[in-house]
Amino acid sequence: MATFSEHLRARSDPELVDLLARRPDLANPSPSTLASLAARATSRVSLERALVGVDASVLQVLESVVALHDVLPAVTAADVARAVGARPDADPTPAPDDDVALTGVDDALAEALGLALLWDTGTDLHPAPGLPEVLGPYPAGLGPVVDRLPDDLGAALAGAPPAARGVLDALAWGPPVGRRPAASAPEAQSAVDWLLGNGLLARADAAHVVLPRQVALVLRDGRTHREPATHCPHPPGTVHPESTVEAESAAAAQELVRLVTALVRLWERTPASVLRSGGLGVRELRRTAAALEVDETLAALVVELAGAAGFVVDDGEDSPAFSPTVDVDDWLEADLPDRWATLAATWFATTRTPWVVGGRDERGELRAALDPELARPWAPRLRGAVLEVLAGRDPGTALSADDVLAVLHWRSPRSVPPPAAVAAILREAGVLGVLGAGALSRAGRALLGPAAPAQPAERPTSGPRTGGAPAAAEDPAGAHVAAARALAAALPTPVDDVLLQGDLTGIVPGRPTPELAALLDEAAQVESRGAAITVRFTPDTVHAALDTGQTADELLARLAAHARGRVPQPLEYLVRDAARRHGRMRVGTAGGYVRSEDPTLLAGLVDDPALADLGLIQLAPTVLAAQAGAAALLDALRARGLAPAAERPDGQVVLARRLVRRVPGRSRRRRGAGGSAGPATAAASAGDADAGRARLRALVPALRRAEAVSRSGVTAVPGGVTPGTEDPVAALATLREAVADGREVWLEVVGPQGTPQRRRVRPVRVDGGRVRAVDSARDAELTVAVHRIASVTPIDPGDPTT
Amino acid sequence: MTDGPLIVQSDKTLLLEVDHDQAEACRRAIAPFAELERAPEHVHTYRLTPLGLWNARAAGHDAEQVVSALLEYSRYPVPHALLVDVAETMSRFGRLQLVSDPAHGLVLHAVDRAVLEEVLRSRRTAGLVGERLGDTDVVVHPSERGHLKQVLLKLGWPAEDLAGYVDGEAHAIDLDTTGWSLRPYQQQAVDGFWHGGSGVVVLPCGAGKTLVGAGAMARSGTTTLILVTNTVSARQWRDELIKRTSLTEDEIGEYSGARKEIRPVTIATYQVLTTKRKGVYTHLELLDARDWGLVVYDEVHLLPAPIFRMTADLQARRRLGLTATLVREDGREDEVFSLIGPKRFDAPWKDIEAQGYIAPADCVEVRLTLPDRERMLYATAEPEDRYRLAATATGKNRVVEQLVARHEGDPTLIIGQYLDQLEELGEHLDAPVLTGATTVNERQRLYDAFRAGEITKLVVSKVANFSIDLPEASVAIQVSGSFGSRQEEAQRLGRLLRPKGDGRTAHFYTVVARDTVDQEFAAHRQRFLAEQGYAYTIVDAEDLVAETGA
Repeated sequence: MATFSEHLRARSDPELVDLLARRPDLANPSPSTLASLAARATSRVSLERALVGVDASVLQVLESVVALHDVLPAVTAADVARAVGARPDADPTPAPDDDVALTGVDDALAEALGLALLWDTGTDLHPAPGLPEVLGPYPAGLGPVVDRLPDDLGAALAGAPPAARGVLDALAWGPPVGRRPAASAPEAQSAVDWLLGNGLLARADAAHVVLPRQVALVLRDGRTHREPATHCPHPPGTVHPESTVEAESAAAAQELVRLVTALVRLWERTPASVLRSGGLGVRELRRTAAALEVDETLAALVVELAGAAGFVVDDGEDSPAFSPTVDVDDWLEADLPDRWATLAATWFATTRTPWVVGGRDERGELRAALDPELARPWAPRLRGAVLEVLAGRDPGTALSADDVLAVLHWRSPRSVPPPAAVAAILREAGVLGVLGAGALSRAGRALLGPAAPAQPAERPTSGPRTGGAPAAAEDPAGAHVAAARALAAALPTPVDDVLLQGDLTGIVPGRPTPELAALLDEAAQVESRGAAITVRFTPDTVHAALDTGQTADELLARLAAHARGRVPQPLEYLVRDAARRHGRMRVGTAGGYVRSEDPTLLAGLVDDPALADLGLIQLAPTVLAAQAGAAALLDALRARGLAPAAERPDGQVVLARRLVRRVPGRSRRRRGAGGSAGPATAAASAGDADAGRARLRALVPALRRAEAVSRSGVTAVPGGVTPGTEDPVAALATLREAVADGREVWLEVVGPQGTPQRRRVRPVRVDGGRVRAVDSARDAELTVAVHRIASVTPIDPGDPTT
Repeated sequence: MTDGPLIVQSDKTLLLEVDHDQAEACRRAIAPFAELERAPEHVHTYRLTPLGLWNARAAGHDAEQVVSALLEYSRYPVPHALLVDVAETMSRFGRLQLVSDPAHGLVLHAVDRAVLEEVLRSRRTAGLVGERLGDTDVVVHPSERGHLKQVLLKLGWPAEDLAGYVDGEAHAIDLDTTGWSLRPYQQQAVDGFWHGGSGVVVLPCGAGKTLVGAGAMARSGTTTLILVTNTVSARQWRDELIKRTSLTEDEIGEYSGARKEIRPVTIATYQVLTTKRKGVYTHLELLDARDWGLVVYDEVHLLPAPIFRMTADLQARRRLGLTATLVREDGREDEVFSLIGPKRFDAPWKDIEAQGYIAPADCVEVRLTLPDRERMLYATAEPEDRYRLAATATGKNRVVEQLVARHEGDPTLIIGQYLDQLEELGEHLDAPVLTGATTVNERQRLYDAFRAGEITKLVVSKVANFSIDLPEASVAIQVSGSFGSRQEEAQRLGRLLRPKGDGRTAHFYTVVARDTVDQEFAAHRQRFLAEQGYAYTIVDAEDLVAETGA
């Protein structure tokens, strides 16, 4: 009988290359022989990893094969199809899509075979050794196989009293284990006793009973699953007109860029202090949220995005603060679509998880934004997976978080993402404008890259199926440009005029041009944002505009240039009034001052070339201000032969004493900037992928050569007996195969005293570093730690000599 | 993207570009459900509120109409979330109904069972409802009809009151339409109110709300209780009713601080109703003194809180609210909605002005630069004295004089806050001064003389703010006010908006001291005026001198 390793050996080179490509952990580090490849492929870790990537249809056929393998003499594709409910003859009235369902099972089986999770002998299907252990004791909710069954199972079931039938129905679709009823429920107890007595239930332990697999299969009408999971769920969602999606996406994109800009502007004036743990404190977050006029959740996202894009970092000063970096200046210069595309690409690629900010960690401490611990390596993958679900639908389709989760559940049932994360990613995508009205926008689709057509094939035919890493990674520059272009197309045509009104408001009936936006940003405050912008002019906002150095006339001229109609008189008055009062007080910085009751004393000092270094300017006839400090002034004036006295802030003369300067000591601390992969650190490029494939193609022949060498060595051992393998990995593989096939092996075990012992056993289970086996000759069961096994030698059942 | 006149913002404001050729059609389409917030010259701002949407529902509009109106006129795609919210909010109205059950009396009936369960589980409805009648009905204590409606509105499930009204004691009232008739919009307001049962009619100042009240009384043909803000207003109502209806002086009673008459038509002031003695309202019996068939509330936006509580017990009677604005500075709009009723009629003043029923107004702010001495005084004054100092700046007298001279012969009101300033102005201009200290008779005499044109200048304090009727005042000069209250501004402007015999433009001047709090308060008022759509201009007092001197 063939074994898994023999099956592997029999695979063609391209098939092996394909396997290694699909299960990359098998090829890294390169295995030495095909036997060690087989061993690795059947290890728990590798199987788990492979299972994470399979979809529900594959998992279903795997469960089905594992469940049936112990019941049927041989499991065929037809058996599996029937068991999962995809076979027309399971249903007397075949539905029209049965053929489709059947195809689904074939595809799933092909996939499982390709991944070496199953292997076949032409017709029969076998689970890969170790797979049943990984799938757990009750595959598809089916209990263990028992030897002693009623001769006529159907008749026994038909004769079951109603109470017993109820028990069977409760256990039929799993879990198959039930608690034995207490004595206080005699009726239930007698029903269970009847079932036990008639062999329809088995005792699991003193308190539990279990439904044997064969009985359950009869109760299930031969099925292992209720419904075939051959097709990905297709929730209808809500379809929005594309114009709505694009408009909302564009609105969100503008708003996000505005918020990030506002954050940079805020922090460049008042940097936000860094917590000792490295994050942004709650109070700082609240201050930022209030300044940005958003809630804290959104503020956390904005802060995290700015951090991930490298726009703000911990400045590492003595009292550390998050401050804008030089990188942000280029970004601020770019045009809106470009700036947005940078943010969106950052969001795709970042490992940051902004949505957990404000929650508490395991120690009950608040999770802070920009805390280095908030990075999760799976975050970009999950974003890609979530958006890929939306990308697979018609444009304009919005799916709820539950809908997306259902699809993701089908795609990788062994690794379902946390629902909260999926909901948060959808929400964030909405904030970014990657989604508009809940549907993927064109710009969002462009970011996903050309690999995201409107309707991709349900199952990609090649490549790892571990869910989409953002396709932007494959061609970051191209995706960036495409996304920016798509956003530019979605943005409404800029409006260059503003309607100024007598109540000192102005309305831009659309998206303002950059010049108009800059003007309004300088001279007014925004009251309402959306498709249009409403601004209000107040004395404060006009003062702020005048602070930038323009005069009232210049400001009015700029307003008039953009105004539709003339500038209303009240606004003109407001500007002129503000200008009249602007700058009537002057404030400056001085290092020190010189004053004297005698103006003639001071008059000569300003123009004295010897005192030019002091930077003296005359503020009033009796006051000079100096750039130099008090100590320097005293020295210089004394050197000039004058007799100045130092005074305290209250005007009292300070007695001669040296003015000493001290600087605060420095204890430099270095902190890591937020942990993000950054947009530039993209995954392997297409070129790398080709190189990898070439390596795998070279690896396979090498494995075959090594295999041949080791086998030729084996045959050279005298005595004609196939000697045991001593490679521990290969030994385990042999054991797993023996478990799978129910065959016996020679096991050489090192005893506690170090003496080797050779026993003929039938391995039952290889798991957790132990091997459980039955010694049929002694009729005993033994459990051996793997490290005590010296060698394992397969026994050919047809060979009587052993 | 269409080229519509409307921009729908996601913060639920609607911006209507008024110069657009579809603007008028759009305004008509959105008026039933959106509240006009600001109406300056180019772009009017409307707001979508739950109350506004429920008003629309009460008036028979459904969410589909609202959504299609927004979609039809919007220039840009309408935010999806807003449309969902509109539909969701509107669907909340009327899931619960108050109905009259022949067997059980007043019953709260649920169109949606889950909603009834939800509200009955709330602690707030405990005690307001009685026995449960099956899945969808529960008995309501008749005395709690108003409270229940308030609570249900607070819970977000406003009930539709279909339980009807008591007929009340019949009393024939006819409009005496010799020489006049109800204007079309007044007739529509009466019809809209009557059809709806109870509710509020919103008309701008000077649009003839009293006549709408009279029309409603004639339609009702029952005894009527009219609640007004003060005694002067009560007298005006009485005079107007005698003039415009078949009612005689003997049929109309005044129930105020001075007199306590209860007649088929009784006019009571809010103040007397809310008077407490030893912690109890002493005049509550008025509400039950007769079997009133109609209760009229004048100036609903000023209705004091105790009246709301009393109104809660009057839910079985027809109620008509009259007001110029649904906006209350105390934010009790929801109580107006639940206790008096939804908005039944609303006519924007632009329409009425266009029809020639309100005089156009020209608003001017005169800015006076204070002399240095007063500026120094102001700069060093305690903050609490600053407004008074600025408002009573002596230079204002001269400005007022010039303005009066400019409109020599036109009936002119000079309005102020501070009595000594008013006295001084009265002396300066040789005009009578009317303050809170002036007796009612003297007031009446002065008003009559002003009306007859015997005197053309009248200096008044804030007592004139409410409900005085000076049909021929065409110039108002405001020298000081109470800290820029928008309410006050509306009332003062209202004085001028009564239609003039010869269609002249009304003039409204405000004199303010530059660079003081006076100017800041004036800015609030101006904003209000501009939002109401009045073009206003600013002139410097110095320019005024030059102009008048020329």
